[in-house]
Amino acid sequence: MKITLFAASALALFAICASVSGQSQAPAPTPDKKQRQQSAATKSAADQTQTAKSTADREQKEGERRFFENCGRCHNPPESISPIEVNAVLQHMRVRAMLSAEDEKLIRKYLAP
Amino acid sequence: MVVLCTAAGLRAQTNAPILSGGVQFLSSTVGGNTFFQPAIAPVLVVPLGEHWLVESRADLRGFISHENGSTGPYSGQFIASLEYLQLDYIANAHVTVTVGRFLTPFNIYDERFTPFWIRDLQDAPIIFPIGTRTTGSNNGLMFRGVIAARKAWEVNYTAYFSVLSTTENLQSGRTAGGRMGVFFPLAGAEVGVSYQRFLQDVNYNSVGTYFTWQPPPIPLDIRSEYAHSPAGQGYWLEAAYHFSKSRGDTSWLGRLQGVARVQQFFKGTPTPGADLPLVDVNRFDFGLNYYLPHDVRVNGSYGRQYSSAGNANVWEAQISYRFLFPALPGVFK
Repeated sequence: MKITLFAASALALFAICASVSGQSQAPAPTPDKKQRQQSAATKSAADQTQTAKSTADREQKEGERRFFENCGRCHNPPESISPIEVNAVLQHMRVRAMLSAEDEKLIRKYLAP
Repeated sequence: MVVLCTAAGLRAQTNAPILSGGVQFLSSTVGGNTFFQPAIAPVLVVPLGEHWLVESRADLRGFISHENGSTGPYSGQFIASLEYLQLDYIANAHVTVTVGRFLTPFNIYDERFTPFWIRDLQDAPIIFPIGTRTTGSNNGLMFRGVIAARKAWEVNYTAYFSVLSTTENLQSGRTAGGRMGVFFPLAGAEVGVSYQRFLQDVNYNSVGTYFTWQPPPIPLDIRSEYAHSPAGQGYWLEAAYHFSKSRGDTSWLGRLQGVARVQQFFKGTPTPGADLPLVDVNRFDFGLNYYLPHDVRVNGSYGRQYSSAGNANVWEAQISYRFLFPALPGVFK
């Protein structure tokens, strides 16, 4: 009787442990599925990078247009400008040329991308 | 901790002050008299966060000429002036409040084209003193901004008053005035009107209007001003063309710019301190600017002036360099 009860308890404990283990860990993917997931993740990252690059290019192009539209009314673009200088330059021109905050943001992307 | 350090770093970087401006050597021959003007014009810009800004520009120059006009040994004098030193509060897109010494916002020449590394022809227009008495700078309070902006148009304004100052290098007249302009970005055109009331000694009004046009597909700049005061009235019209198909072209030919300007002045009632000719004057100028790499520019121009006081040829040649660097290198990284 004792042996039967012990065996039943052991089986029940094993069943509970197996069940909990099954809940906490997803079944290991097959090699095909894993490759597909990796491939999808890589593609998604590449798409995101491409989208970010095309957005940055578009904003830079728009920044160039706004530079010539606003700042270019008086002077040529500086030959080079470092990221550390660009904020002061744009604040200066925001007052002088009455640039909007959006103009300032886009021209910054053109001058110091 | 990392976030705080990063935020502090970014804050420090965005507040980095800059030292900019230009250096020049200008040679002028007016009616046979030659003089030279070496000059440096430093511009200091100190951002104080997102909304506050301190800006300053000075002009330090030598004036070297023959002691007897066109003969005798050369002698020189040193001239220094503070063109602006202002504190700006950028409240929003519609209002910026400026207090201190600022360039007089009458028409466009004073605010936009007085830097010698920017202007296309080195001589200021004959009507420049109209609306900019007494020195082209005012000590006082100014409001400026954009009233309304749409994709196709934008209305901007300035309004100011200034107090009398006779302090050396800080002279200013007691005046009040303003300017309103409409900018059409798609057409690259702007028109505007200006008004100033001179409020000391003899009170009088100056009015002006201006027009600029940069047809977007062509690297052509057309600018013009008209101004009227009791001491006289006149206009100037200037066209500048880069020999290229588009703006920003850095080919050797695209760096070359041809400039032409015509102007006429008609005398009014002689007014002490107006700094205007006492006779009618007609003048034309032609010039060439070449924009070398590293923000160096060389230019030369020829002008002919006609007046009852005598006609004169005006020859000018200049080399200038525009500089820009952090004012406190090493402090802000």
